[in-house]
Amino acid sequence: MNKDRLTGIAVNAGLVVYFVFALFPVAWMLILSLKPDNQLFNTYFSFSPTLDSYRTVLGGGEVEGVPFVRFFVNSLVVSIGAVALSLLIGLPAAYAAARWKFRGSENLMFTLLSFRFAPELTVIIPLFVLYQQLGLFDTYVGVIWVLQLVTMPLIVWIMRSYFTDLSPELEQAALLDGYSRTRAFVKIALPLVKPGIAAVSLLAFIFAWNNFVFPLILTSSNAQTVTVGALSFLGGDRPKYNLTAAAALVSAVPPLVLALTIQRYLVRGLSFGAVKS
Amino acid sequence: MAEIVLKGLRKTYGKVTALDGVDLELRDGEFFCLLGPSGAGKTTTLKAVAGLEQPDEGRVEIGGVDMDGVEPYDRRVAMCFESYALYPHYSAYDNMASPLRSPRYKVPADEAARRVGRIAELLGISHLLDRNVGELSNGQRQRVALGRVLVRPADAFLLDEPLSHLDAKLRQSMRAELKTIGAVERTTTLYVTHDYVEALGLGDRIGVLREGRIVQVGTREEIWDRPADTFVAESFGKPRVNLVAGAAAEGGRFRTPDGEIDIPLPGGAAVPPGRDLVLGVRPRDVMLVRDGRPADGTAELRGRVYVTEILGRHSEVTVSVGESRVSLVVPREDAAGLGREDEVRLAVPTARLLLFDPADGGRRIAP
Repeated sequence: MNKDRLTGIAVNAGLVVYFVFALFPVAWMLILSLKPDNQLFNTYFSFSPTLDSYRTVLGGGEVEGVPFVRFFVNSLVVSIGAVALSLLIGLPAAYAAARWKFRGSENLMFTLLSFRFAPELTVIIPLFVLYQQLGLFDTYVGVIWVLQLVTMPLIVWIMRSYFTDLSPELEQAALLDGYSRTRAFVKIALPLVKPGIAAVSLLAFIFAWNNFVFPLILTSSNAQTVTVGALSFLGGDRPKYNLTAAAALVSAVPPLVLALTIQRYLVRGLSFGAVKS
Repeated sequence: MAEIVLKGLRKTYGKVTALDGVDLELRDGEFFCLLGPSGAGKTTTLKAVAGLEQPDEGRVEIGGVDMDGVEPYDRRVAMCFESYALYPHYSAYDNMASPLRSPRYKVPADEAARRVGRIAELLGISHLLDRNVGELSNGQRQRVALGRVLVRPADAFLLDEPLSHLDAKLRQSMRAELKTIGAVERTTTLYVTHDYVEALGLGDRIGVLREGRIVQVGTREEIWDRPADTFVAESFGKPRVNLVAGAAAEGGRFRTPDGEIDIPLPGGAAVPPGRDLVLGVRPRDVMLVRDGRPADGTAELRGRVYVTEILGRHSEVTVSVGESRVSLVVPREDAAGLGREDEVRLAVPTARLLLFDPADGGRRIAP
């Protein structure tokens, strides 16, 4: 037994402890979701596992009067929509912020960032009134729009640093090759920040997916999302924690799948060799 | 095909002045070398011509047309970046073909392939065209970057240290070949370098840039024989030109403070006695005198060997003449047997002497 090996074992043991600590809530939810209704409040770990909760949650939810599948689809639509809209507007914005200093550019960027650290609750009441009057209440467009507060600053700020890291001489070379600024942006700059786009899209998607306050106040039934929908199981005569747990686990699937598929794009280094270091 | 005129270009970055009134005129088809130490503003000058940097003041004219407000892609200039600026997600071929696929310089695909193939062969990179840029060495990348410039028609080529990362042998042969490439022969070329050998070897004319100002423009002979000031004199030649501080003495002579060097002023320059002067002489112009009288038209100096250094077939000998040091380059066998503190006699041809005025920034006053 040498010293290196002992350290290795100690480090691994430490990691296992942290692993258990970090995954305990997930395991707890999993156990809850497998419990049948009548054993829900047992205080010992002995129950007959059942998939009934999942059947109820995914089965149209008519039993409980909660259309969970529709909430799930709603979440997909508004999250993907919000990220797509933010990318469409945010990528050129981030590029401009990285490449050009113009009057008030820093103030503009800071204002954008402030949307992230201002509590959502401070704007929710006026937004509610506005949405009611504009007819945006409980619509996809309304939710996608308000989720820009969540996704846009993230995308602009992170992508700006990616564009800043990119040598401007690459686009300058494209300009001299005879390409317009727009073409240089699309042809040269964008492909080189693909890993950044992948990472930030994933992050933005998770933030949008997990958002609770905006859909809670600004939707009722048509555009309601899973975060709010999962809570519906807690209403009624007694809280159905098993259904909520099952709903939460099901709604964790899309971000997980997305993270796994996008993983290979997250590796940086595509721009290796662009300019001499 | 166009002449390029720069008038009073000025550019500052915050408190740093990059260009401080650059005036330059390039003739049509000329190969013009811009030489200067790093930070002199060479790259900024190129980028101002290309339209990638907007000068704070002054104007750029290409082919007689004021380029103010003209976008880089409308200037019909090609530039080779010091950083190469190759597109990392493209192959070497796609990099070189990029200008030939752009909306402005588009040619049919087979024509583009023909041109890229020809230039790649000239640059010795034909076998690398399929490779990704990331798999190439720095020298290979630099040639791809040069190729991307040469494949396309342009009114002017702007080359920023295009040979700096090639190994010594390749650099020498590329230097010889570069000017014989047809496109380079016909096209006005502004070539930036910090290597005086490149400038002397390539430039039809040479401009010397220092701290954002053009110090001198001239042919290689003018620059070498009649440097505008001590800065230009020191920029060309290795070992560097000898600069000896002294003053004018009675009878049209130059004398160092310790009196060890006392020779006639070159070119019969009329300088009032007592005025501070700097005398310049190139190491290759100084001769060792073994015995007998020094040749006509030379002045004799006596000193002691300080150090000798072998430079291949030649040796550099540094001699202390009183408080001053004079280095000279002589054939190796002439310097054989010279040891430290040995007494030597030197002959300097008075016609080859340069005289500078230290009170006026080292400006040349004679010949």
